[in-house]
Amino acid sequence: MKTKSVAMLLAGGQGSRLESLTATNAKPAVQFGGKYRIIDFPLSNCMNSDIDVVGVLTQYHPYVLNNYIGDGSAWALDKMNAGARILPPYVSRGGGTWYKGTANAIYQNLDFIEIFNPEYVLILSGDHIYKMDYARMINFHIKKSADLTIAVMDVPIEEAHRFGVVIHNDDKRILEFQEKPEKPKSNHASMGIYTFTWKVLKKYLTMDNADPNSENDFGMNVIPLLHENNKRIFAYPFQGYWKDVGTIQSYYDANMDLLDPASNFDLNDTSFRIYSNNQSLYPHYIGEDAIVKDSLVCDSCIVLGQVEHSIVSHGVTIKKNVVIKDSIIHNGAIIEDGAHLERCIIGSKAVVSGKTRIVAKESDNPDEIHVINS
Amino acid sequence: MKNTAGLILNVDGEHSNLKDLLHYRSLSTLPFGGRYRLVDFALSNLVNSGVQRIGAIGSYKYSSLVDHLGTGKEWMLSRKNQNLTILSNSTTGRLDSLLKINMRELKINQRFLEKENIDDLIIVSPNLVTNFNFSSALRIHKTNKADITLIFKKITRENNFLENDIFLDLDKYKVASMSHEDELVTDYYFADMMIIRRETLSAFINLFDDTGEMDLLDMIKDNLDSVKVFAAPHVGYLRRISDLQQYFNASMDLLDAEILRSLFLGDKPIYTKVKDNHPTYYTPTAKTSLSILGSGSRIEGSIEKSILFREITVKKNTKISNSIIMQKASIGENVTLDYVVLDKDVVIRDNATLIGNKNNPIVLKKGTKI
Repeated sequence: MKTKSVAMLLAGGQGSRLESLTATNAKPAVQFGGKYRIIDFPLSNCMNSDIDVVGVLTQYHPYVLNNYIGDGSAWALDKMNAGARILPPYVSRGGGTWYKGTANAIYQNLDFIEIFNPEYVLILSGDHIYKMDYARMINFHIKKSADLTIAVMDVPIEEAHRFGVVIHNDDKRILEFQEKPEKPKSNHASMGIYTFTWKVLKKYLTMDNADPNSENDFGMNVIPLLHENNKRIFAYPFQGYWKDVGTIQSYYDANMDLLDPASNFDLNDTSFRIYSNNQSLYPHYIGEDAIVKDSLVCDSCIVLGQVEHSIVSHGVTIKKNVVIKDSIIHNGAIIEDGAHLERCIIGSKAVVSGKTRIVAKESDNPDEIHVINS
Repeated sequence: MKNTAGLILNVDGEHSNLKDLLHYRSLSTLPFGGRYRLVDFALSNLVNSGVQRIGAIGSYKYSSLVDHLGTGKEWMLSRKNQNLTILSNSTTGRLDSLLKINMRELKINQRFLEKENIDDLIIVSPNLVTNFNFSSALRIHKTNKADITLIFKKITRENNFLENDIFLDLDKYKVASMSHEDELVTDYYFADMMIIRRETLSAFINLFDDTGEMDLLDMIKDNLDSVKVFAAPHVGYLRRISDLQQYFNASMDLLDAEILRSLFLGDKPIYTKVKDNHPTYYTPTAKTSLSILGSGSRIEGSIEKSILFREITVKKNTKISNSIIMQKASIGENVTLDYVVLDKDVVIRDNATLIGNKNNPIVLKKGTKI
């Protein structure tokens, strides 16, 4: 079998910084923007880039994610001799271990990639919100005869210290890396999206695995190893919306960006759709005295109260005399008569009592985001 | 239900006042309730009752049915042990037709209807808005060793019977007589659903000679003394859609939260084709009350007592009330719509006003631009 490109999606993150949202759920399966889950973004990008083999590496609470990906048909990944495959850690005759680091997760699945024997392997992360045509990145990689291409995005220089930054020459060849530097020499931040030439990836992952001192991480070990050996590493410049949603604050902000026309992130663009595993649900119902403004509302919600500047996922019931502002409500939640919620993230199927009152201006810390999970 | 097959066949004729909505589609694929097609009810009710083999007879305008049903995957009918077949239709049209169940349609689909491992067939009309489980009717059918079990509805004030309805005279659950009268004869009318033994149906098909026009219900009526015909009650909400007024009223019924709940909120969902739409966005100027909205829309104006399907834009200072707006309509600024039914892809430009009334809503056909 010969496939041009295989994508490997690192979906194993426990996402402990997302607190209770990931208590029983892997981070990539966390809901986003009402109807989506975070993993819809890399999977839809694959579909929009004509990549039809995707290995999804997962190890924490895999059930929701497995169930959600199903046969992959939601992202047209139900093709014969291709498709989405869930890759959990496994035991073989030589033993088996938990995935130790990002590189180790791929190393343990070299056999999977071998089946497809691709020319290029894309390494993607399961916690970013963005739209990107990977085919263009692969073309860039081919044109530069690169061994490794790293997608980079220009960030404001004062923010650069939060990222891994790269310094490249005019030909975009990377000369130097800085990991979360105090004094960044550039503002080209790595997005954690890599295109490897398969033969090079295989060789270096094997080398990395043989090193007992390595932490088996792409950013910390494998990429520096390629760099030391003078491999051709290039920076692929990406422009557009991209957000890491690894923390409650960044998750909240990225959701709210969907309500902000200035954020320039349009999920309604039919030329580059974000697909998800949709359920067959009835339309939403807005009651007689309801007020719904500046909000996204999904299927099968019943809204009888007031919703402003909020994102309401499917199957949510908002009873009378409820006020919801600047909040994110996950699917199946029930907000009882009388509740007042501001800057809240309400977890899936949570039942919020009518006595709940979270009002920003009455709080000591008005900017706090409250996560309510049951 | 393993040995029961489903057959979806239009029992009521299409009234000519629906013609503007049926230019490009059959009655079975008339959009309903913000995202459904009428046939979704019949299909989902059969699937939810455990029926694993379903055939749907298309009309001569069958492309909308084929497009909607696809492989049947959304109704879980695209599996090795569960499947959906689109069957052919014998007539050129059913506008104001007098025949209810045309024997010719059964005859040309004889091969589907006579599969050996099938004991019974459930025949359902695709224009019924109801969430109904056939298991209790099938129990009546089996316990009484019936050849045919007609599903009936008791007449209530809000539940008007149709002009050419069949009324049943019942002796307990046994059908004593069937009448075609124009006036009300008994309190029970045939609700366009029945269970029939495969062998009984085959016998009727073999009796039918190709030259004439015959109605299965007439054949049953004429043979009441020799075949065992029972009746099973329909319980819950049921509306039959065959004219514009019924369509409009049943649509508006959904704004009653109790009816909406009974149709869609139980543990037996109504399935339909899914689309990858964005959630509906209400802008800061939006004002919505007592309405049902599908996904993928953008609402800037005011919506009241209306049903909006998917992917609709409503610009600011526009007022929509008592209306049904189908998929992908685009409605400009300062527009007023009251008692209007817009078919798919209609464009209403800025400053337009369209006001119909309850008994005579204005209907704009697919793709109209004004």
